[in-house]
Amino acid sequence: MSDADAPLRPPLITGDKSLSDITRDICVPMERKPTGLWWAAFLVSAAALTVGVAAVWYQLVTGIGTWGLNRTVGWGFDITNFVFWVGIGHAGTLISAVLFLFRQKWRTAVNRSAEAMTLFAVMCAGIFPLIHMGRTWLAYWTLPYPNTRGPLWVNFRSPLLWDVFAISTYLLISAVFWYVGLIPDLATVRDRSQPGLRRRVTSILSLGWDGSARTWHRYETVYMLLAGLATPLVFSVHTIVSMDFATSVIPGWHTTIFPPYFVAGAIFSGLAMVLTLMLIARRVMHLEDYVTLTHIERMSLLMLSMGCIVGFAYGTEFFMAAYSGNPYEQFVFKNRALGPLSGAYWTMVTCNVVVPQLLWFRSVRRSLPLVFMIAILVNVGMWFERFVIIVTSLHRDFLPSSWAHYIPTSIEIATFVGSFGLFFTCFLIFCRIAPAIAIAEVKGAAGLKKRPAMRRVDAQSSAVAPGTVAAETAKPAGVS
Amino acid sequence: MTAAPHAVLSSITRKAAATAVISALLLAACAVAVPGRVWSNLLLAAYYLITVGTGAAVFLALTNVCGAGWNAAFRRVPEAMTGVLPSAGIVLLAVLAARLPEYAWHHHGEHGPGTFWFKEMWLSPPFFAARAVGIVLLWTVFARTLVRNSQRQDTRPEPSGRPVNTAVSAVFLAVFAMTISAAGVDWIMALEPMWFSTIWGVYQFSGLITAALAVMIIACIVLRQRGPLRGVFRDDHLHDLGRLLIGFSCFWMYIWFSQYMLIWYSNIPEETAYFIRRTHGPWGPIVLSSIVLNWLVPFFVLLPRSCKRSERVMLKVAVVVLLGRWVDLYVMIFPPVVGDMPVFGIPEAATILCAGSLSVLLFLRAFLSSETVPRNDPYLSESLQYHA
Repeated sequence: MSDADAPLRPPLITGDKSLSDITRDICVPMERKPTGLWWAAFLVSAAALTVGVAAVWYQLVTGIGTWGLNRTVGWGFDITNFVFWVGIGHAGTLISAVLFLFRQKWRTAVNRSAEAMTLFAVMCAGIFPLIHMGRTWLAYWTLPYPNTRGPLWVNFRSPLLWDVFAISTYLLISAVFWYVGLIPDLATVRDRSQPGLRRRVTSILSLGWDGSARTWHRYETVYMLLAGLATPLVFSVHTIVSMDFATSVIPGWHTTIFPPYFVAGAIFSGLAMVLTLMLIARRVMHLEDYVTLTHIERMSLLMLSMGCIVGFAYGTEFFMAAYSGNPYEQFVFKNRALGPLSGAYWTMVTCNVVVPQLLWFRSVRRSLPLVFMIAILVNVGMWFERFVIIVTSLHRDFLPSSWAHYIPTSIEIATFVGSFGLFFTCFLIFCRIAPAIAIAEVKGAAGLKKRPAMRRVDAQSSAVAPGTVAAETAKPAGVS
Repeated sequence: MTAAPHAVLSSITRKAAATAVISALLLAACAVAVPGRVWSNLLLAAYYLITVGTGAAVFLALTNVCGAGWNAAFRRVPEAMTGVLPSAGIVLLAVLAARLPEYAWHHHGEHGPGTFWFKEMWLSPPFFAARAVGIVLLWTVFARTLVRNSQRQDTRPEPSGRPVNTAVSAVFLAVFAMTISAAGVDWIMALEPMWFSTIWGVYQFSGLITAALAVMIIACIVLRQRGPLRGVFRDDHLHDLGRLLIGFSCFWMYIWFSQYMLIWYSNIPEETAYFIRRTHGPWGPIVLSSIVLNWLVPFFVLLPRSCKRSERVMLKVAVVVLLGRWVDLYVMIFPPVVGDMPVFGIPEAATILCAGSLSVLLFLRAFLSSETVPRNDPYLSESLQYHA
């Protein structure tokens, strides 16, 4: 925040922090021994993960006949969970790249954990199509490289192959973006730590960061370019996921609004997950001065706007089915709202469209328990949205003789539980090994004045943006 | 403060008035000779202008709800752009009224409307007309409210910022999402009543906001060159408007491609009819030129930072985008009305000149009716010192 900023703008961090306070507050939870709460959470997550591993092992050995799919409903829990997890990842890239380009400085408090969440969510998503292949050990056949398999070659016209490219690119760029953002903070951790394993590892990973003006200059250029590259990915990944459905001729799947609607839905669910995690993390790790009510409120507003877009898309689909005069389109949507799976449909509408409308009220947005509950409900609603799209469009086919019902088996449920286990286990480990908040970026964006404590910070950490140390006013890190 | 701008802008006013009179006479002559063609030209022009005006209101609303401060210095430009709304809306309603019975959809089968009952009800003349009046009214009233609240600050400063306008903006954006979809379906998609596409409303929005940004860029540059915004509208503002233009131009392409690709891929006859008509035969090159003008040129030209900060380059790109918007709407509206052969002649040229010059007059009248800079805006100093 520069001096020119209007006085109306609320402060980004509260508690009258000096630069050294910021370093300490963020590094300390990571440096001390894990708390009992952390261990409890870790054990629950690891237990869920174990259930998932056992279920996956059983599926690999027995085959995907262990699932509840049938000839009519060929996609069920697997693809629902896949789309659910890919969607969760989107808020990370939105917050880190898109909001960066829009110079939303409040993003600095949440971008690090949101990006970590992206990586873990995409990992969880990857599990489901891999198992769905049936012979997972042949997964590398999806890669187009010169081979000796004769006519076996990937089908470039298939959206499922585009998925392979889109998601692997997404994972790669997100990981690089996350790591590049971490470098100055790893240097801070390195400078703070005693000789030992932590110091050795962070020394290697911080790539000899020296905090000079030249290093910062280059770093900011790279960060800007990566943000530019990651922004199209926010759109492309879920656009291509939507095309898995929309390129078909199945009523309920083939509809042109799917690409932007899926992107908005993904960001919606991702924001809900970020809010869920950050509301817990700020409390447990005592980060209330960094993830303030202003941050919660802004994320709630973003969630509200995405919820409205998603609700608008639901409405458009219904309107167009009625307007088109196409009897199959009309049947599918009537079946969604009134058919045997109408419970899933109305859960989706309630959680995604009705409940978030509470966020129009400022008092709700500033009430942590209410925001937490709404975020949880949105997570549930967005899972049901994918279930509704996938299963209700399939289960009543063109031919009534082939109508079927779909009930997930215990193995499918266990795999889903396992994916949550993987996600939370990874997230809990992340909180222990890396600063959960981007220290250098928060310092750059917070606009702190020089205080006597500065000299100590200089000696302690080389990872303070030159704009913050050298000049009286802080310059946002990474803004060109 | 208002006397000086009047003087420097009077030459523009005179030229625009002269062009408006001549082109209006020409258009009147065409209306006698080829009424059908003039009707579709007027629909295009009125829709073009009303969406630019509403696009400016959407820009104001979006920046208000985001709590943006950077645009305060030149906010009077988008505010003045909404000045076109009531007039363009009245023309649009007149144009629609002239062809109201043709928009209606009747089922000619033996067994009654069947699954088409909703379409018949939706496009029935009374409902259609009521919706059109409602949409034009809503857009005009919301735009007026946003502008009036902002101008009220000039006399009565509100230190707390713009909370009223923020709430109005949020409601407007929700209303706008629904009304632009209904407008797009009613006024344009219904020209080919058997065809439908769920992304249509988003597509209309993408074109609307891109064109509004292009007009804003041109107006800001001209007003800076002529004086009123000199020292106020800075290269940093131009840079950010350029970023938004390139961003929304990509968004337009994304939406256009999503619609085309999904229809092409699924190859369902009732959907492909729209594109077959437009991509096979003489309309093909025109569709391609719309992509070149709306995306290819702005994207590649505006990628370097220096181009987004150059008045000369930005002015040219903005003109190209406005041309692209015309071609985009031409491809949407003309094929079902004029048939398989694209036409461009005196009616088209006269309509463009007439609509263009009239909107310049309306814009200038609105711009000069208030302070050229919102001097009591709490974000003004932030905007004036702002670095892109």
